[in-house]
Amino acid sequence: MLRAAVSECNLNGGVPRTMPRVRRRSLTRNQFRGIKKEELQRRTSMYLASMTIDELYAEILYEILHNVGCDVNYEIGQTALFSYAQDAFKIANDKHRRLLEMAEKKEAPELLLNVEVIEAKDLKPKDSNGLSDPFVTLFLTSNNSHRYNTSVKTMTLSPVWEEHFALPITSSINDDTLCLEVWDFDPAESVKEKLGKIFEVKGVKGMRKLVKEIAVTATTGQHENELIGRAKIPLNTIPASGMTMWYSLDKKNKVNRQGVLKVRISYSSEKNNQVAEQEHRHVLRIILLHELEMSKVAPYWWCGTFSPQGEQLLTQHIAQSGLNPTEVALCQWSVFAGIHQNHQLSFTLFSNLLDKLIKPLQSNSVSEEDLKLFWEATKKLLPSCFSIIRKIRKKSTSEKATMKQVTEVLKILNYINSLEPLPNFDLFPSTIYPWITYHGEGNNCNVPATLNDAVAQGASDWLNHILENNKRPDETEISRLQNLIQIIQLVRSDLQKAIEFYDKLFQETINFQYAKALYVFYQAKISTMVEPEVREICKGLKKLNYTGYNSLTNGDANTDPLTEGTSLFELYLAVQRFATLALGLCPADCDTFHIKNFHEWFHGGVAQWLDIAVYKALQRIEKAVELDKLVHVDNTVKYSSSAVDTLTIFYQVKVFWQQLNWPDVEGYYTFIAKIIDDICRCCVFYADKMSARVDGMGDVQDIYEKKFEVTNEWCLAINNIDYVRETLEPFTRDLGMEEVIQKISKLKSPVEAQRCQHTLENVIANAIDTVRNKIIELLEIVVAKMAPAMKRLLIEGAELCNQDSNSIDRLMMYVDNNLSTLHRELNEENFNRTLEIVWDMLSKTLCEIIQSNLDKRRPPSFFDNLRKTLNLMLGSFKNPADCDNCNDLKRTEQILRIHGLETADLIHQVHLDMADHFNKIKDSPYGEISVRCKFEGNTLAVEVMNARNLMAMDSNGSCDAFIRVHLLPEHKFSEHDKPKTKTHNKTQFPLFDEKFVLKLSPEQRQIEDALLLFSVKDKDLLGYNNQYIGEAFLDFKSIEDTTLPLTSLPQIHLQLSRPKDLTLDSVKALEYRQGDKQAKEFLKKFKQRMGS
Amino acid sequence: MAAARNNMRPAQKNTLLKVVILGDGGVGKSCLMNRFVSNQFDEHSFHTIGVEFLNKDVDIDGETYTLQIWDTAGQERFKTLRTPFYRGSDICMLTYAVDDRPSFRNLEMWKNEFLYYADVRENAQFPFIVVGNKSDVPAEEREVSHLEMSTWCNENSITSCIEASAKNANNVQEAFRMAVQHWLRLETRADRNEQPINDTVDLTKRHSENRMSCCIGAADD
Repeated sequence: MLRAAVSECNLNGGVPRTMPRVRRRSLTRNQFRGIKKEELQRRTSMYLASMTIDELYAEILYEILHNVGCDVNYEIGQTALFSYAQDAFKIANDKHRRLLEMAEKKEAPELLLNVEVIEAKDLKPKDSNGLSDPFVTLFLTSNNSHRYNTSVKTMTLSPVWEEHFALPITSSINDDTLCLEVWDFDPAESVKEKLGKIFEVKGVKGMRKLVKEIAVTATTGQHENELIGRAKIPLNTIPASGMTMWYSLDKKNKVNRQGVLKVRISYSSEKNNQVAEQEHRHVLRIILLHELEMSKVAPYWWCGTFSPQGEQLLTQHIAQSGLNPTEVALCQWSVFAGIHQNHQLSFTLFSNLLDKLIKPLQSNSVSEEDLKLFWEATKKLLPSCFSIIRKIRKKSTSEKATMKQVTEVLKILNYINSLEPLPNFDLFPSTIYPWITYHGEGNNCNVPATLNDAVAQGASDWLNHILENNKRPDETEISRLQNLIQIIQLVRSDLQKAIEFYDKLFQETINFQYAKALYVFYQAKISTMVEPEVREICKGLKKLNYTGYNSLTNGDANTDPLTEGTSLFELYLAVQRFATLALGLCPADCDTFHIKNFHEWFHGGVAQWLDIAVYKALQRIEKAVELDKLVHVDNTVKYSSSAVDTLTIFYQVKVFWQQLNWPDVEGYYTFIAKIIDDICRCCVFYADKMSARVDGMGDVQDIYEKKFEVTNEWCLAINNIDYVRETLEPFTRDLGMEEVIQKISKLKSPVEAQRCQHTLENVIANAIDTVRNKIIELLEIVVAKMAPAMKRLLIEGAELCNQDSNSIDRLMMYVDNNLSTLHRELNEENFNRTLEIVWDMLSKTLCEIIQSNLDKRRPPSFFDNLRKTLNLMLGSFKNPADCDNCNDLKRTEQILRIHGLETADLIHQVHLDMADHFNKIKDSPYGEISVRCKFEGNTLAVEVMNARNLMAMDSNGSCDAFIRVHLLPEHKFSEHDKPKTKTHNKTQFPLFDEKFVLKLSPEQRQIEDALLLFSVKDKDLLGYNNQYIGEAFLDFKSIEDTTLPLTSLPQIHLQLSRPKDLTLDSVKALEYRQGDKQAKEFLKKFKQRMGS
Repeated sequence: MAAARNNMRPAQKNTLLKVVILGDGGVGKSCLMNRFVSNQFDEHSFHTIGVEFLNKDVDIDGETYTLQIWDTAGQERFKTLRTPFYRGSDICMLTYAVDDRPSFRNLEMWKNEFLYYADVRENAQFPFIVVGNKSDVPAEEREVSHLEMSTWCNENSITSCIEASAKNANNVQEAFRMAVQHWLRLETRADRNEQPINDTVDLTKRHSENRMSCCIGAADD
């Protein structure tokens, strides 16, 4: 390879010939004298076209023979250099000898010493105004007649000249010295002119100087420049590569420094510049190729360091050809870029070159020819730069060298980007950059666009590689999903790497958002890859049926909807994580990315995921219930492990929901409703499983009977369900309800948001209610299991009350034990619920017992005993006071009490019920009566005063009324008459004004519920069949006990009434007493009174 | 009977029935539900977002049924949001507006969508009820006749159909009651034919025993 490159240098393979020398006489480079410019150019191009290796070699030998500069490494020696050159140029020995002879014969080169007088400082003032008018004279001591002067800078002690001089070196460099003298210019002035300056004189010294000057002028009549100081520089102290220095100015007899002078000194030749550059490029190429071949340096490694021999040859060539640093750098750029194509050099080399070149390039101080060469070379270099960018992933980011290389590449690109490209120059031809997407007008020199494309192309290549490597043999949907997940993960880690290592580098070096460019590319790619796949899969999702957790074992993992749905969700999460990156990377643009609405692709999957969440939850719940040992989780709580597990399972659903983080507000809201409904379903499922788990527990059989004991397990089951229920509401709040309602309010309207809120609240309330239902269901089971024993207790109690009975004790103990267990184990709410159910059950049971025993015509004592047993049992309930709240039971107990009454008492009960009922009547159709009553001791005084508006009983529309007074209960007042008023004929407003006094026994007086009954009747003409008008009751308790006369007491007005129907419990109870004569008789009369 | 039980559900539970209302956007599904549940009508109601949910008790033949009514959004873009709610439904109310022929033509689509997502067993007679809303519109605006409705229902073996107006409250209560009665008829028939329940749990199957739950017949063993 290297050899081939060398032979290419042998441009035309032409015969060796002497190299034409174009000499320049002028001090400035671009002016030539003697030869016309056109002729010069013609010759140059001829020479350039016909230059051969041999000629170049001869030139190099000649330069070795005439090394210049103080920095020549004499240790290397000419011999070593010759041998190095011979090797590098691959010249045969005999040819070498011939060429060397030729070179030795040639006269020594005409070198020029380039001197730039830059500036001086701290000059001693020579003029009377305290300043000087300095100028510099320079010459070589070997030729001191040939002096060069700078211009004069007036009235300054720190002049700036920046003037160039080229002094031909004629004698040996080692002996010659450059002499620089700074003079104060003194123009020819007359004494008179000088005297005119007196006023400008500064200070005493200035005055003295002026006086002296005037004196000199006056005596010699001519002006005399005055030396300020001089510097002498032996030429052998000047390195071949030149130097810039401050030299101090001395003056004979003066110890003090007279000032300092800054000069730049370098060698140059009178070689034609283009020729010199071309030569240099060739030499550079030959030497570099030679060195690369010799040292076997790794690609991208060579950074500009030559061997000492190579270095010396090049330095000498530069010095002896008079190339300036920019020209050298341009040569290097061109040669290095060329070589780089075949043998990659370090990018640091190029970036450093650009450091030197960028200013001259930007300031247009480079010749058109060089500029063209520069861009041609650049065009060669750039593909390799972009290749680095494209293949950035092949480098290990942990290596410093990688980062350095990328940095240098970016620096190069940044420099290039800052330059104005040549007109009509296609920097990025599409043949070399087939991946470029930028197609602007005309030629493409758009570095940032190309960089962007390179980044994208690199990503694309890498992605294709990844896709190729991750191909799966089976093409099931699940494996395709998993493949996508993997690819997204890889892409994400690539982005991560980009962010971590390169992004800052790109931004700082070339102001390019690397990670963002990558993201833009990837998001489009991922979108096109994932979207159609996901939409397709979502369409064909298989339904999920939960058939118990064992059903999974025989499922095929590749086709089962659970795995597929799970994979789909994983993909969702992967895409979600990817999409989220946009917020950090390019917040301004993320709205424009297709991937932003990725969730829409998955829309159809959400329902499936919710189903899966439920499916898994059910599975785990079933397992949790199965594993539950039904013991308290710890001493402080009253639930067991499955309740805690179930909450964990719910928590997992919540985690799923949080992961889903559904961005669409309407969807978010709706799915929450669904989740709440689903969680409710899980609760119910749990309740069912729990109750199935404890079913059959507590059924015990001893020698006496088969019965059910309330066990801790049962209570735990109930507590568990309740515990789960309690967490429903907080759980649903955690789903982000409030936030989403607020969002709907913003997005839609507050009214709609409120409706959504209502819906969610309704769904929650409904869920809680439903689970509560389940608890009640379970409690009902418990109570139903206890019911037979309780029923037996009641019946046996009714039969055997007041007799000592083991059976009753045992039953009492049973009820007591079970209730104690319930009270101890259940929480208060559930215990109260249990009691309510028990009461419900009891009242139903009692009704049954009562009914069946009434049918059996059991005596009142049976029911009385039953009532006593009931109260005994209620007494064992833990908070019997609450029993009053149970109307059912209270009423049942009331009925029981009535049935327990002896018939006479029962009849009185009827009267009491009637009295209670009548006293509520406000306006009676039968009329009303007025009475006065009082007790005085045991004596009852009754005054029947009058009646009003009596119902007309006779055909004449009037009646003949009288009132009889009864004392009730009748059997307790049997010895008393029933006093009766006179009959008042044909009036509905009879005035009786009759007084009755009844002496009662103290016992009678003390009867609590004794009543006065006023019975109003219509006297039949014949006196046989008095017609009943109505009646009124007055109880003893409302009668005053007083010594005041009856007349002073207020009248009591009583509405008359009649028994309406047979619906009173007491009446009904009487009806059951078919065999009882007393009951029968009473009912007969009762019905008569009803019917009249 | 158990009036004294404050803030507690009566021990005797109601039968819970899940009702789903389907139909094109704008036929008045939400209005029907609101009229039925709270006897209110809002002339300018919004599009439903996703779903709405309300509870309402109805008494039929002395039994109390709690209807859990899921009102769905009819717009196509809500499809994936509403379909998850079909599962476990006991009753499906298909609605259209009598002044909107396309909405009537879409009944077929709605019925199929429901059957697909509700996962109803193929041969099972499902209690659909067709409700033609907006019966209050003037005759000249009417686009679907009563006869057409009953013909369609006959063709599709749907025995319950009714025209109603959420606006003037005509037939709204009746529509829902009719739906429950229809369900009852099918349920009693199903009970007679029902096989003994196997002991696995099938979430999609409707178990008559589990009517108590608001959720799909979640379990039974």
